[in-house]
Amino acid sequence: MNSESPSPTSVSELPILDTNPDGQVRFKSQGGRLLLLLPPEPEGDTLPLPWSELWEQLKHRLNAGERFWQPRTTVHLLARNRLLDARQLQAIADVLSEADLALKRIYTSRRQTAVAAVTAGYSVDQHAPVTHLNQTASESGQALEDPLYVQSTIRAGVEIRHHGSVVILGDVNPGGSVVADGDILIWGRLRGLVHAGYGGNPDCRIMALRMDPTQLRIADKVARPPETPPEQYLPEIAYVGNDGIRIALAAEFPRLSSNA
Amino acid sequence: MTRIIVVTSGKGGVGKTTCTANLGMALAQREQRVAVLDADFGLRNLDLLLGLENRIVYTALDVLAGDCRMEQALVKDKRQPNLALLAAAQNRSKESITPEQTASLVAQLTDSFDYILVDSPAGIEMGFRNAIAAANEAIIVTTPEISAVRDADRVIGLLEANDVKKMQLIVNRLKPAMVQVQQMMSVQDVQDILAIPLLGVVPDDERVIVSTNRGEPLVLETKLSLAGLAFANVARRLQGEKVPFLDLNAPHDDLFVRLRRFLKG
Repeated sequence: MNSESPSPTSVSELPILDTNPDGQVRFKSQGGRLLLLLPPEPEGDTLPLPWSELWEQLKHRLNAGERFWQPRTTVHLLARNRLLDARQLQAIADVLSEADLALKRIYTSRRQTAVAAVTAGYSVDQHAPVTHLNQTASESGQALEDPLYVQSTIRAGVEIRHHGSVVILGDVNPGGSVVADGDILIWGRLRGLVHAGYGGNPDCRIMALRMDPTQLRIADKVARPPETPPEQYLPEIAYVGNDGIRIALAAEFPRLSSNA
Repeated sequence: MTRIIVVTSGKGGVGKTTCTANLGMALAQREQRVAVLDADFGLRNLDLLLGLENRIVYTALDVLAGDCRMEQALVKDKRQPNLALLAAAQNRSKESITPEQTASLVAQLTDSFDYILVDSPAGIEMGFRNAIAAANEAIIVTTPEISAVRDADRVIGLLEANDVKKMQLIVNRLKPAMVQVQQMMSVQDVQDILAIPLLGVVPDDERVIVSTNRGEPLVLETKLSLAGLAFANVARRLQGEKVPFLDLNAPHDDLFVRLRRFLKG
């Protein structure tokens, strides 16, 4: 949307961003192996994610999911077009082995990364850099990914993004955010910002044991919590009703949705 | 084993340096060999609070450059010989040193000290990364303000990602009277968000300013103020003692406050 055209959206609606929300480190299991996906380096003038931030994301995801991985699971690293030097590869391998995961194979489109990986003794697949372009282009019509399960407190400054539903076992603190293409379920206190149905699906829901958010977003709708906090907090569900985002007690929600 | 503790907060002005100076002194009084390391290159203050400014000859950078030995750079405190300060360079920026270099400095100190306290600069950039590089535990200092707590939360996340798992909280500058009339976040409110163990609560005290200007940490007073006592207790808790938290409400809890609270329900 360019700035000259009159905007049809009201203040409470968001434009659907078509930027690739995939700027994060992700784990994905496939055929008994674990894939570690690094975000691709952006084209143009935007700077790539600095190594220190990439590293923090990786540590965070590892800490938040550690419980579910079988010991000695093989990990394939999909580095895409990200440049990794020998030291960084070693750091990744070390942190994986701390979680009892074994880095075996590295997929990359960068020659330098491939050389560093071969020198360190990993199997390497060097592919043409076009693959990730194809991937983003076909992304729009894809099914959602498996839900992401995060056992961790989402603290200020941390953002979890996922092309699917997200389950958080822990609190989302003020300043923390969760952005998901599917539902968001928070088994804890929600005090930060969450955006369900990021891809534009208004049927997505936000569930929290204690709904005390900074802001709620579902698809293109935005809602702020009421100025006066409620007397007590009970598990609640936020959904899109006729006039924007509504919140219902979790215990009463099934009845509400069956009437609708 | 030497405990390497970084004192950090994210936000500036919440009392990191005051805490470092007082804890360092209090631990030294308890027969521990303590080194305090100022990691705030370019904006060093720790030497002022300890009253050691005029005795600094060499800084951490001189040690790294090989211009002096570590023993020459360490400033021994005359009042408390168990305490030594390694000063930061004032004329350089935080980018003039790397996390690896900080770690090597700390490694040179581990043999001769029981505690190494690293005074971190505000922010989460290079200076912060330097300060946490060698630490194996952290003291998070915050004031009961929403901005300080938010920044502390961010810093806790960063420390977790950098393998500093043991973290404890000091809530500084609490005004019990304001908490009672619900104008200030309570310690419980702060803990609700940060969710790390509480190491101490230090009340707001004007004497902190006096002590800073004189270069005499509060814990050196012969008759300890409430804030000084709070710091002394923090030092004892750091050593593993179980010390009950000070009842900060007691002197302020007069009839009027009670009445107001009763009426408010």
